[in-house]
Amino acid sequence: MSLTLTCPICGERNGYEFRYGGEDKGPRPDRARLTPEQWCDYVHMNDCVAGVQKEWWFHRDGCGAWFTTHRDTRTGLETDGPDNAART
Amino acid sequence: MFGKSKRLWPRAPMKTAYDAVIIGGGLHGLATAYFLARDHGITDVAVIEKNYIGFGGAGRNTAIVRANQRTQENVPLYKEALDLWPVLTKELDFNLMFYNCGNLNLAHGEATLKAMRLNVATAQFHGVKSQLVDPKECKELVPALDISDRPRYPVFGGMYHPPGGIVRHDAVVWGLAKGAAKRGVHIHQGTEVAGIGTSQGKVVSVETDRGKIHTPRVLNAAGGYAAALSHAFLRQRLPISVLTIQAMVTQPLKPLLDHVVSSGTYHCYGNQTLKGEIATGAHMDPWPNYTTDTTAYYIKHQAEALTEMLPCLKGVKFMRHWAGLADMTPDMAPIMDGNDPIEGYYVDCGWGYFGFKSSTVTGKYMAQFMAKGECPDILKPFQLKRFQEHRLMGETAALVNYSPDN
Amino acid sequence: MNRLTHLPTLRIRPESRRDIHYRGKAHPAAAGDTIATALYANGVRIFGRSLKYHRPRGLYSLDGECGNTTMAVDGVPNVRTETVPARAGMTVKAQNVVGSAERDLLGFMDALSFAMPAGFYYKTMHKPAPVWPLAINRIRKQAGLGAIAPDFEITGVFDELYPRADVCVVGGGPAGMCAALAAAEAGLRVILLEARPWMGGFFDYRAAAHPGGGLLHERARELADQVEKAPTIRVFTSAAMTGAYHDNLITAVQQGGDDDPFDSRYLQIRAGAMVAATGCIERPLLFENNEKPGVMQVGCAHRLARTWGLMPGEKIAFSVGHDLGLEAALDLAELGGRVVCVADIREDGQDPALAAALAERRIPYFKGWVATEAQGRPTLGRAVFSTITGTVQKEFSCDALVASAGFTPVTGPLNTAGAKLAYDNHTGFFLPTDLPPKTHAAGRIMGLQDPLSLETSGRLAGLRAAADCGKRVDDAVRDAEAALASQPGPERGCKLVTAPVKGKKTFICFDEDTTLKNVKQAMAQGFDVPELIKRFTAAGTGPGQGGIPGHNLPLFVAQTQASPDKHPRPTTVRAPLVPPLLAEYAGTNHDMSKRTPVHESQAAAGGKMERIAVWNRARVFSKSKGAKAEIENVRTNVGMLDASTLGKFRIFGPDAVKALQRVYAGDMTKIPSKRMKYAAMCNDDGCLLDDGVIVKQGDAGANDFYFTASTGRAGQTVEWIRYHAKYENWDFHLVNLTDAYGVINLAGPNARKVLEKVADADVSNDAFPFMGYREFTVNQTIPVRAMRLGFVGELSYEFHVPSSWMQALWDVLAEAGAEFGIQNFGLEAQNTLRMEKGHVIIGSESEQRTNLLDLGLGFLWDRNKPEAKTVGAVALRQAEHQKGRLKLVGFRMAEPADRAPKDGSPIVDDRIRGYVCTARYSHALDMPVGMALVEDELTPEGTRLSIFEDGCEGNLIHGEIVSMPFYDPDGKRMRM
Repeated sequence: MSLTLTCPICGERNGYEFRYGGEDKGPRPDRARLTPEQWCDYVHMNDCVAGVQKEWWFHRDGCGAWFTTHRDTRTGLETDGPDNAART
Repeated sequence: MFGKSKRLWPRAPMKTAYDAVIIGGGLHGLATAYFLARDHGITDVAVIEKNYIGFGGAGRNTAIVRANQRTQENVPLYKEALDLWPVLTKELDFNLMFYNCGNLNLAHGEATLKAMRLNVATAQFHGVKSQLVDPKECKELVPALDISDRPRYPVFGGMYHPPGGIVRHDAVVWGLAKGAAKRGVHIHQGTEVAGIGTSQGKVVSVETDRGKIHTPRVLNAAGGYAAALSHAFLRQRLPISVLTIQAMVTQPLKPLLDHVVSSGTYHCYGNQTLKGEIATGAHMDPWPNYTTDTTAYYIKHQAEALTEMLPCLKGVKFMRHWAGLADMTPDMAPIMDGNDPIEGYYVDCGWGYFGFKSSTVTGKYMAQFMAKGECPDILKPFQLKRFQEHRLMGETAALVNYSPDN
Repeated sequence: MNRLTHLPTLRIRPESRRDIHYRGKAHPAAAGDTIATALYANGVRIFGRSLKYHRPRGLYSLDGECGNTTMAVDGVPNVRTETVPARAGMTVKAQNVVGSAERDLLGFMDALSFAMPAGFYYKTMHKPAPVWPLAINRIRKQAGLGAIAPDFEITGVFDELYPRADVCVVGGGPAGMCAALAAAEAGLRVILLEARPWMGGFFDYRAAAHPGGGLLHERARELADQVEKAPTIRVFTSAAMTGAYHDNLITAVQQGGDDDPFDSRYLQIRAGAMVAATGCIERPLLFENNEKPGVMQVGCAHRLARTWGLMPGEKIAFSVGHDLGLEAALDLAELGGRVVCVADIREDGQDPALAAALAERRIPYFKGWVATEAQGRPTLGRAVFSTITGTVQKEFSCDALVASAGFTPVTGPLNTAGAKLAYDNHTGFFLPTDLPPKTHAAGRIMGLQDPLSLETSGRLAGLRAAADCGKRVDDAVRDAEAALASQPGPERGCKLVTAPVKGKKTFICFDEDTTLKNVKQAMAQGFDVPELIKRFTAAGTGPGQGGIPGHNLPLFVAQTQASPDKHPRPTTVRAPLVPPLLAEYAGTNHDMSKRTPVHESQAAAGGKMERIAVWNRARVFSKSKGAKAEIENVRTNVGMLDASTLGKFRIFGPDAVKALQRVYAGDMTKIPSKRMKYAAMCNDDGCLLDDGVIVKQGDAGANDFYFTASTGRAGQTVEWIRYHAKYENWDFHLVNLTDAYGVINLAGPNARKVLEKVADADVSNDAFPFMGYREFTVNQTIPVRAMRLGFVGELSYEFHVPSSWMQALWDVLAEAGAEFGIQNFGLEAQNTLRMEKGHVIIGSESEQRTNLLDLGLGFLWDRNKPEAKTVGAVALRQAEHQKGRLKLVGFRMAEPADRAPKDGSPIVDDRIRGYVCTARYSHALDMPVGMALVEDELTPEGTRLSIFEDGCEGNLIHGEIVSMPFYDPDGKRMRM
């Protein structure tokens, strides 16, 4: 148990209280005229950044909030808390 | 045999052009290089490895091999892989130490038994030995197993697969490197790829930190880094999440486990290496990482799970714990594709934690793919377009649950 | 053996005697003895045999750095006897021996070592091919240290503790104690971990003078006393750190002492900052037979005498590369030992006072000399020395050879914390160049040896850790920095890697029997990185891991390379830093399973409880095959099922409908009052994730809904709905009521008769029709949410009641139903009942490839609903007319006499075309029926299916597609 994450509501907590929710891909696209390629790109494809990425987390064993945070995938550690979106 | 030792793979000069460049000196890259040279006469091949060969998943897996997968697309591929170990041992004149001890997979409930029945029957339909066994038979196979009602998930039965076993993973790396180098392949260790050059929709070059290489063919076999490189070099995104997977070994013991034992319910497997260590792993931290750091949570979880199945192991010690990367796809099946939309660019990735057992046969068919430019039939189900066509592979019955994308 | 007595440094209490058993004899031990010191005191010199060559092995480090002295204790293999206290009644056995440790029948293996060069196994035994499987058996038996019985059951109490601290200090030597004191003085909570049973480190056993006055061991006790008295320092002794992880999570394993209520304790500490003050071990001296019993390190010999009162031998020779070695030689002589010679690797740089003292005692002292070979069989009898160039030789008869090339800092805590280390030319150490945040190092680990420097560096690290924790200690830090700068800095380390030998029997790794020659062989074959040499020669992969070879291997490789490397590269240090038992990690039982509110009564009624995911549920009550009696009772009478595991939720607020529209495939704007809406959730691929019912609560405009989810999905429902609303600023609240409500399913043609007796409402078919939802009380007391639905295909009610009322309602219904012969039914009966109705269970009739349409549940998808970016809708549209998909069908057996095929059996022709999901003998229909997923081409009614069961050996059985549901296709019985 090593990762800790900062929940915007509960503060810094053990990483295993959370569930990862994917790279931040923006709002769901409108259904109309969505081609299979565009659909697949939104649903399945990832950037797989080796570095800092903005991503979603859910505080499962806590307040139940979804929030974004910034984490460096090379170290596995949070870099900036949820409030600082400047790093994307 | 005990004569003067010489290098297993000689140092080679870096040329400015090759017929094919392979990114990644892991098992898939080395195997593809070997088969390009062996089967297709393409010997002017460079394998580019950032660290040293076998640094990544090739040297971090627990070396289990088997052919009792769920789908008919997978079983023949893995069956051929199993058959290749003795062949390659002879051909490479290097003992890959295939220990054909068989695999026992435990069921802890009705639903798992049913799922196993599909795997068993699918294997039998393809002529692969696999059978369901009851708890008593499980105990006969693995006397250390607890088949009482004490564990939180008691044993309901199991799937026994005699043709599987373990292989010495390092030996496969070194053997393939030896075999490929002998046929003219250049292995460049300590060399990092920095880009892939294209022109008019075709691959023309590979940039490295030791200069540019002109080539019409590139295979991205960079394991955990394949998706990141694909995106960074060619803006091609892949349906992959890279997770850290951990494994550990106990101190060496006299023979205790005569088979590989595994349990999906406990997220745990154990097998005893020829050195006597019990290697175990399986569970993963479900968020993406490129770190190979281990966690305290994991080793503790593994000890709990393993000792519920095999209580005597409580008296044994863990001695080494390490981690590697698993590039997971939404359907737990790999992506083997290429020559489309970029001519000459091939990918072999998304193996998750199945990359070891399939490595040699994948190399064989990816070599064919790269030599002929056309996807061999056996690899067609693994193409990338299945994701946009809503045709997942079905290799796991359940939805893969590491990100809420599904 | 006579022990030295009356030494102030002794840690044994000879008056407290206990016996341990070895080779059939009771061996007396004193309180404070480890197993190893107790055996040594009883004359045992050979503790076991080595892995490959069965070479005899003995005491070497006393800190368990190698497997030399690991033994089996009370059935547990590989016990590090050098660090485990001797307890009364222990039974100890030597490992890897055939016969005894002294006379091992496999001792001849040593003579064959020439035939096993590095990479031996890779190049042999595969030709001809049939040899290999035979060789495997031989190899397996030879391999492995220690054995465990398959039926072994460990005894003991394995405790766990998860403390928090501001500062965690690893190592209770002088630097660690000073660090802990400094942090505590700054007002912080400190945890100090010490692997030995007492604090003091390398001051503890030394009688040399402390520059600040007094003797070192006196200073150790003084500092330990201060630490113990500091109110905010919590000391864990006998607690060996196993690893440091991100964000200063530190794990350790503590051995219980005679008076502790546990045998062993797993510690997991979350600290604000860490100070690593783990000191040094010794770098082994490389010479021929450098691991022969009798050869031991300086600390081992010195502590043997000073701590345990045991003189290491009758005639003691020294070959060392540092002043600590000279001090030990003098001290042993002082204590009455006979020191036959001291070879010092260094030509110069010694403490002149020590050299003079050796001369005064007339101990032969050779500068620039080194041991080259240990001789004697099976234990040491004589040692050969030479100048470090190997030109001149001398021999000394001796039974103990104290050998040590230099020091190796114990950097494991830093390595596992993620520090970067680089080779330092002055000390010869791998020193940290880049420490992770809030991580500090102090003491000998940094190359310091001077007592005052050690204490100051500890104090400085403790203050810096305090600063990390927000304490303002700038002035104190500056003072400590200035003090440290004025004190002696890191000492120059001895650089000698190996004595002038060929290396055939010079062991760089004891545990794996790896010699210098083996390393050279590996290098010749192209393995030029220490990490690869480790893999190829196995050096450093044994029970002691890098303890013995960790420092020497990179140095030797760097020196041996074609172009010698000035920057040796270390091999990776991995957790666990000391090997814990799996029992220690596993600790107590962490199972978290859930029981329904009527668990006890279900079990008491004969329910066979089964663990299904987190829940315990009753599979069957009756003994009849396939739960026949339970099934028939539901079909013809009335039964009760505990369905409390269903997911139950409330969603309310102005935007509640928007959230429902997003995740459910149907149109959620159309939920009528007093009726249920059956609905399905898909994932983005259109695959069925969940189904359940939704009912409106309150009045028409309330925006308040109660809904159910399947058991397996209950845990993820809240996160799923919120996930898909995460970019929207919707105003709704979602509450998980799964554990707050229990559920009873009352089903069967007599269900209404039972209900009428107790319900305070009109429950006639007109007043409470099929798919209706009502709220009423039972017996004027119990508040019930009642739903009339038909999963099992009969007249059926689901009662949702607050968990605290659940047992009461159950009892009321049971009593009311008694006159009809009401019976419990379990999951097995439910499974057949619902299957007869063609109702799916997610995961049973669906998998990752099946979407809503494939299951014939297209009616749950409203393709004309207002655009809500509904999850799965795009995929359903795109895949709607796709060919080759697996579709759910019903089938019966082609031969009426055939039994139902086994669940999971594939459906085949020349390839696999689908598989059986669930098939059962239907008592209602009096024939076997089942559901299967098959390719769309096979779906027309009447299509013959060939079923390939496991073990059928090609004898297929056949089914035939029929329409579903099998039972009561018009659904009349649910509407009765």
